[in-house]
Amino acid sequence: MTRANTPLKGIRIADFTIHAAGPFGTQLLAQFGAECIKIESKTRPDAFRKPHAVYGRMTAATFDQVSVNKLSVRLNLKQPEAVAIAKRLVFIADVTAESFRAGVMQRLGLGFDALRAVKPDVILLSLSSSGQAGPDSHFAGYAPLFGAWGGLGWLTGYPDGPPVEMRHVMDHSAGIHAAFAVMAALHQRRRVGQAQHIDLAAREVASAMIGDALVQASLGQTPDRCGNAHSSMAPHGIYATAQPDRWLTLAIRNDAEWQRLAHELGHPAAALDPRYATAAARLDHREEMDRLLTQWLSDLQAEHTAERLQRAGLCAHVSWNMRDVANDAHLRHRGTTTEVSAAGIDARLAVGAPAKFSRTHEVGIDRLTPALGQDEEYVFGELLGMTQAQRAALEQREVIL
Amino acid sequence: MSALPLSGCRVVEHSRNVAASYAGRLLSTMGATVVLLEPPQGSPLRTAPPLLDDGQSALFAYLSAGKRSLVCDLASPDGQRLLEDELQRADILLDDTPIRDRPGLGLDPDLISERFAQLVHVSVLPFGSSGPKAGWDGEELNLLHAGGEGFLLPNGLSHELFPDRPPLKIYGHFAQYQGGAMAAFAALSAWWAVADGGQYVDVSVQDAVLSVGAFALQRLGDGSLEHRSTRRFRYGGVFEARGGFVELLTLEDRQWNALVELLGRPAWALDEALRDPLERSRRGDEINGHVREWMARHDVHDIVQRAQQLGVPAAKYRTPTEVLEGAHEKSRGLFAPLTLADGHPAQVLVAPFHFRCSPLPAAMQVPALGEMVAGSSS
Repeated sequence: MTRANTPLKGIRIADFTIHAAGPFGTQLLAQFGAECIKIESKTRPDAFRKPHAVYGRMTAATFDQVSVNKLSVRLNLKQPEAVAIAKRLVFIADVTAESFRAGVMQRLGLGFDALRAVKPDVILLSLSSSGQAGPDSHFAGYAPLFGAWGGLGWLTGYPDGPPVEMRHVMDHSAGIHAAFAVMAALHQRRRVGQAQHIDLAAREVASAMIGDALVQASLGQTPDRCGNAHSSMAPHGIYATAQPDRWLTLAIRNDAEWQRLAHELGHPAAALDPRYATAAARLDHREEMDRLLTQWLSDLQAEHTAERLQRAGLCAHVSWNMRDVANDAHLRHRGTTTEVSAAGIDARLAVGAPAKFSRTHEVGIDRLTPALGQDEEYVFGELLGMTQAQRAALEQREVIL
Repeated sequence: MSALPLSGCRVVEHSRNVAASYAGRLLSTMGATVVLLEPPQGSPLRTAPPLLDDGQSALFAYLSAGKRSLVCDLASPDGQRLLEDELQRADILLDDTPIRDRPGLGLDPDLISERFAQLVHVSVLPFGSSGPKAGWDGEELNLLHAGGEGFLLPNGLSHELFPDRPPLKIYGHFAQYQGGAMAAFAALSAWWAVADGGQYVDVSVQDAVLSVGAFALQRLGDGSLEHRSTRRFRYGGVFEARGGFVELLTLEDRQWNALVELLGRPAWALDEALRDPLERSRRGDEINGHVREWMARHDVHDIVQRAQQLGVPAAKYRTPTEVLEGAHEKSRGLFAPLTLADGHPAQVLVAPFHFRCSPLPAAMQVPALGEMVAGSSS
């Protein structure tokens, strides 16, 4: 089933993860070539198989990014026989991943100790909102709560406004960190044959995003939210242009860049103005700078200006919406956006492998969202050696459901 | 140290930006020896804000904890010899030198792969090292917006209060951290396959931001172009309570029922029609109006404590100090003592995950510039 030339060829994952963060992490591993067996059931299908009204999605998703490249099998884990089969999958896998609330895997009979009894060098990734241990470990949570608990939400916002809620990027950031941690554990196992239980708390990933502010806090400083401002760069902001809702992001790092910016935008006199000559002076006049830039950019086209400023070596980019992303030739060239289609799924763009490899280059999407249980012949039949009759009997007893 | 996951792995890091530096930090914390090559005047990150009261960079302290520092002037023949020695012994090279500057500094990928066939060479650039915009430059602010997430911020209460303001960045270096975590993950993936040889890995911060923002591209494929004004939960979100802000989100029926309990079973919430989740979404503004009014009358700590008891997902927006002093974080050992480059003590977040069978470092050190003697083995 695995592609010939990927970095993670030969790695197999037993994937019990649900929601967004865990599935995103295993999806990354699968895009790099790991064989990922997703375990779910008709009674507890993954979120994308159901409507998601709070997000405004009133039907099941036809395509789901976080399930790409995954194989699907059904197991009704409320049945002891299903748990026994799950353990057989763990045994033939290199990595087991789960993202239930802390304690659920133990209750199912699939806790770390139980899995290590089956497979002495098991690697178990447990991804949860608040971790497997600690006074808050039973807390339920989603991405916006991770950001709130972790401090990132507090520090994000307009200086005179409330904190800001983090969305899926927070889940998925936890997923990247999970994929990294899994790779570290695999290297450790390869070197010393060690089992490992990775306890990843998504709220701690949010805290890792404010690691600098936490060092400050440990020395009695009280960092606060600063909006789009930067403490050593000015201008540094997001400015309106001639087109409605087309914003230009601009970060000017030093005096030479400031002078180039003033020239490029047709205001050479400002480049000579002593009020703006040094970074310190520009920071002192930050609000005036922002007003000036808003005025300069008010009759310019956003995309054209960004390209011109980039040619002059300046850090400028339009605040892109997803249509801009979808239309971008650079991202298409890199395969970061890639067209996918299948029966029942019209051609659309998805996010391909987020790193390019010179030698093991066959990374990326090769299968879309699996139908529930579509890979049981391979997984239960070929890998676990079950006969058709055995599988039919298990379906009859609602072990496979 | 031999018990750490990446003990024995050797990494050379040549970084100016947060992304490559964070990749090195993740590898270092997992036990790799990470040698930070710095120019004689030190890495630009040593002076990057936020600064501590004595002028040291809190950002550099966080990012370099656990690394070694080797002064290496790549523009000089001595520096080139040093680079050669270090790469000879390295498993992984992390580099964020802009493409045009690479040949002059001995960092051309083709030449490196010829000389060091077993090396995993990871390039971490704002827009990657291939494609029509490979030469483009970007700071955090630009990259968060180039990847699509910036345009969607803020959503919820902030946008309701300030609908006409420009979009808003996430605090600090969120985009760069995604690029860094992706680079570290890709580095270990390429190293996994090193028995068949090293290779070049091209990581882009823009790609990483789009990757974590993939849901918005998925929504586009479903026919919806997301916008910060409409990308909000139909009900729930940020609420101002007495003494702080609360995040509240109920996605499942049982959580909604528990919320009704938390609110004291008010008449409006007992409306039969609101038992239907689709109806609740349609009447989200009305629900939020009631919740907002209730929150404003109650203490933030009481709300979140009782909410979690009842099974309502709710959290206080905590300040950095509250995170640092949190009982939960303390019991999990999230922070470790940190010795700054000048010897002063601080605290630092070790890693956002725990390895239960082999604990991560219990104390960390920020390297003074050039503390490592050239040619030493550790």
